[in-house]
Amino acid sequence: MAIINQATKELQIKIVYYGPALCGKTTNLVQVHANVQTANPEGKGKLVSLATSSDRTLFFDFLPIEAMAIKGFKTKFQLYTVPGQVIYNTTRQLVLRGVDGIVFVADSQYDKMAENVESLANLEDNLKSLKLNLADIPYVLQYNKRDIPDVAPIEYMEYLLNNRDVQVPSFSACAHKCEGVFETLNMITRLLLNKFINEAGRKSA
Amino acid sequence: MASLPQLLEEDIKQLDAALDDLLVKSEASAGLIIDKGGFLITQRGDFQSFDTTSLAALAAASYAATQYIAGIVSETSFNFVYQQGLNFSLLVQNVDEHCLLLVIFKANASVGAVKYFATAIISQVAEQLRVARERDPSASLDLSLLNIADPSALFQKKNH
Repeated sequence: MAIINQATKELQIKIVYYGPALCGKTTNLVQVHANVQTANPEGKGKLVSLATSSDRTLFFDFLPIEAMAIKGFKTKFQLYTVPGQVIYNTTRQLVLRGVDGIVFVADSQYDKMAENVESLANLEDNLKSLKLNLADIPYVLQYNKRDIPDVAPIEYMEYLLNNRDVQVPSFSACAHKCEGVFETLNMITRLLLNKFINEAGRKSA
Repeated sequence: MASLPQLLEEDIKQLDAALDDLLVKSEASAGLIIDKGGFLITQRGDFQSFDTTSLAALAAASYAATQYIAGIVSETSFNFVYQQGLNFSLLVQNVDEHCLLLVIFKANASVGAVKYFATAIISQVAEQLRVARERDPSASLDLSLLNIADPSALFQKKNH
């Protein structure tokens, strides 16, 4: 859960990138780290990766960044990925602790659709184990790897992954080319900040 | 927003005072209070050479993993994690359901002394965090200061 520090005028928010194995979660963070503009050098932290020797995420990747264009408060976002491999479910539960917003990265290849659906169901299960409900948490979908031949149509992916009472924003992406990466990040941060501001407004009304 | 914890200046002052007391008595190098979700709440001491943001995230994850390990070996909880290094050692101790205390100290210092003095401030830290959590957020929370000039571009891509 986000923390407001009125003493230092800081708001800290946690965003988790979730999705099946090899869908591009780490690539999203690598691209943000490589390409984000920051007002000062301290606005972008180190990208920490706890990975295996073959560069597969073992525990999580972690990137702290400070948003531009927010006056009055330093707004610090902590971006995490989870390990996508099925065996690391306990680790995914640990990383989800205290989550404020989620980016679900789906692999657009046809033969990955079952894994996408399974991973989204796994996300809901893991949130339930933390007494959270996906419907109550701001999240966005990213359909990654759109530059690979034989990808599923967006409409089909929307039907599989975004077929709910309230549809969430979704983005096409080629994360390794940094296409769609910032659009996705900006949308989830916007949803989160709007949620905080609306809820604060309701409380004080 | 009842569920959004907010810390006021008085909270941070109290937490910092507890950490200062710990650092003086234990001769530890630095003390951090961190949220179990990975956020750094406050820090005192000589932490210039440490990336404390990453340290907080990693320590919270390490502690969470240890709790799972405790469950596997039929323990209800392991209340602290100790890592011994050549130059510095770390002690991560549970504060309450939501927070942890992390102490960095010289490797040649006594972990027993650090643990003793850390335990002594736990209740003080936990009480201040409880006060912060139970405070009526609508009384002083003003997110209107979060003036989002252009929400479509909170994060901008560099032009190469």
